[in-house]
Amino acid sequence: MLREEWRIHSTLFGSAGFALFPLLLVFFAFAGALFWPFFSDVLPAQTAVILIHSCYLLAGASVGGFGLFGREVMNRRFGQASLIAYSSRSLPVSEQAILLGFFLKDTVYYLVFWVFPFVAGLALAAPFAGIPVLSAARMLATLSLSFLLGLSLTFILSTVYVHSPRILLGILVLAAAGAAFSVHSLNAGVISLLPTLGLYYRPSFLLLLATLLLIIVPSAISVRFLKVEYREETHRFPENLDRLSRIFGWSPDAHLIAKDALDLNRSDGGAGKVVFSFLFPVMFIWVALFVLLRFIPVLSQLMVFAILLGVISSTIYNWVTEFDLFTSYAFLPVEVGTVIRGKLQSYGLLNLVSVAILVAAGLGTGQVALLVPALLTFASLSFYAVAVTVYVGGLSPSIMLYNAKVYLPYLGLIVPVLIFLLFVSIPNPWFALLSLLLIPPGLFILRKALARWTAWEQPSY
Amino acid sequence: METVIEARGLTRTFGDVTAVNNISLSVRKGELYGLLGPNGSGKTTMIKCLTGQLKLTSGDVRVMGLDAVAQPVRVRELVGITPEQETPPSFLTAEEYLHFVGHIRRIGDTEDQCRFWFELLEFGDKRNVLCKDLSRGTRQKLMVAQAFLHRPGLVLIDEPLINLDPIMQRKIKDYLTGYVKGGGTVFLSTHILEIAEEICTRVGIIHQGRIIREGPVSELRSGSKHLEEVFLEAVRGDSHA
Repeated sequence: MLREEWRIHSTLFGSAGFALFPLLLVFFAFAGALFWPFFSDVLPAQTAVILIHSCYLLAGASVGGFGLFGREVMNRRFGQASLIAYSSRSLPVSEQAILLGFFLKDTVYYLVFWVFPFVAGLALAAPFAGIPVLSAARMLATLSLSFLLGLSLTFILSTVYVHSPRILLGILVLAAAGAAFSVHSLNAGVISLLPTLGLYYRPSFLLLLATLLLIIVPSAISVRFLKVEYREETHRFPENLDRLSRIFGWSPDAHLIAKDALDLNRSDGGAGKVVFSFLFPVMFIWVALFVLLRFIPVLSQLMVFAILLGVISSTIYNWVTEFDLFTSYAFLPVEVGTVIRGKLQSYGLLNLVSVAILVAAGLGTGQVALLVPALLTFASLSFYAVAVTVYVGGLSPSIMLYNAKVYLPYLGLIVPVLIFLLFVSIPNPWFALLSLLLIPPGLFILRKALARWTAWEQPSY
Repeated sequence: METVIEARGLTRTFGDVTAVNNISLSVRKGELYGLLGPNGSGKTTMIKCLTGQLKLTSGDVRVMGLDAVAQPVRVRELVGITPEQETPPSFLTAEEYLHFVGHIRRIGDTEDQCRFWFELLEFGDKRNVLCKDLSRGTRQKLMVAQAFLHRPGLVLIDEPLINLDPIMQRKIKDYLTGYVKGGGTVFLSTHILEIAEEICTRVGIIHQGRIIREGPVSELRSGSKHLEEVFLEAVRGDSHA
């Protein structure tokens, strides 16, 4: 399983590209820790520790989720892929044994690739940033445990779900109510709710034992009561492509936009998954800006929001490219550039959600005078960011951006622009309109991107 | 007779591997040409090179009078291709997929064509089913149908019958024979020799990226030999050479 995991990633990015990922993590952790003292007023140490632990908890949960439900994604990437995790039907091995192996594999693999590099970066910066080395050492243990906690949580919840979705719903409601009660009535902080955080701040053998039990017991229950159902559902829909193509008839690529709309709507989670995966970070930023305003009162909340929204909205392009590979078109009279053009139009349409959010934010905060410059800033930055995304990632940005060799140039083209615009918007929000200057380079990058990916040859041997 | 495929010195390498090695062949209008070869012999690479899906390492290819390297999209407009492995997009239904191809190929009578193919290949009951939920056989029928949707003069088919039952195999073989009689041309790659023996007018045997035997089926089968014997002799002889 370990070898399989390595080969999946190295097939996608090349061994060197994938091996660079942990190094990149070391670098980011190192740089983040090194510069942390400069923004510790805005991000106090305790908040940072909570955020990091929460991230690793979520990472564990998402790894477990992908492993269990990611077959569709794998097949889109590799054709009819069959991982060992799905082989109990054809090999004389029980699902329980496979799940146990899967759990152990993920534990080893992701600790080595995700947790260790982060802690190493932190430890390297510790002497310069005034972080006690002991904190880094403690974090190695607590982040590993956070990751495992997330992993075991996904396993137990998915096991319960397979047996009874109602029981799962009940558990989730009880957990949410318990958390709310603890926070409001017992005045418990996040530290009390996440045992690994408690362990970080108040290490004790008893808490370590409790944390280990919280990982081992749910995992053992998941393995013991695993129930695998191979559902062979057949989904039927009336013909809708022509109708949608007529709606998008203003575009020469109407059929491509119509196909994207159907892909989004009919894939697991429907169009809602785009909205939620986009809306949550946007809401988070909006709330974070309120906090930031306390430290930098001169900041224009709407303009900073428009700048950040411009960059984040480019991730919508990742979603519209998620449902097919160019191999599905390669034997038809169509070029990669044409498919990308269609995806960009779908992106433009979905991005109207961002426009609506920005307008609502402007009207809601009474900053009507800044609405037009905010919209122009958002639109120009969003265009530039998606042009860069297309250039580095083509039709597979969500895969390519995991490759350090691709991600670094992406950051190099986005981050300086972002920081510059944020800074110039502080003295006068109207200065953010300098983002309009990004349109010509955006057009240039996009033209280069279309030529680059049209000339690109699909690996096929 | 008009030549629809003309390859000269066609070579394609992938790193150290030479998948197609200096192949020259021509296919004339109205032929049903079979490219026969064991697994991994270069059949699929050959079709991809002929249709501009892959660039050539060296050599040149003209298809329907066009340079397949310089005008790959134009070539794919004129021909139909049934790939071996690629499947239709997951979240379109079978009918929507044919309409999608109809839009790309700018076909005016897609609806009539859909009706014809659903009836001929007997999968009209699956027209509203998402492609991802179709069986392999039904997906293959769909991929065959999309290749003929625009009534091309030349169709290149990679392993056309591999997932189909004998009844459907018969239907497709009959259709291909009739299509060629009607003036069309088929370039078919397969390792199922019975298909080639039954319907091909001329075959080439490809092994390790090279054409090792070529000619009309009747000529290759000198005496009472089956094509299988000819094939095995050629491939084994080449392996020992």
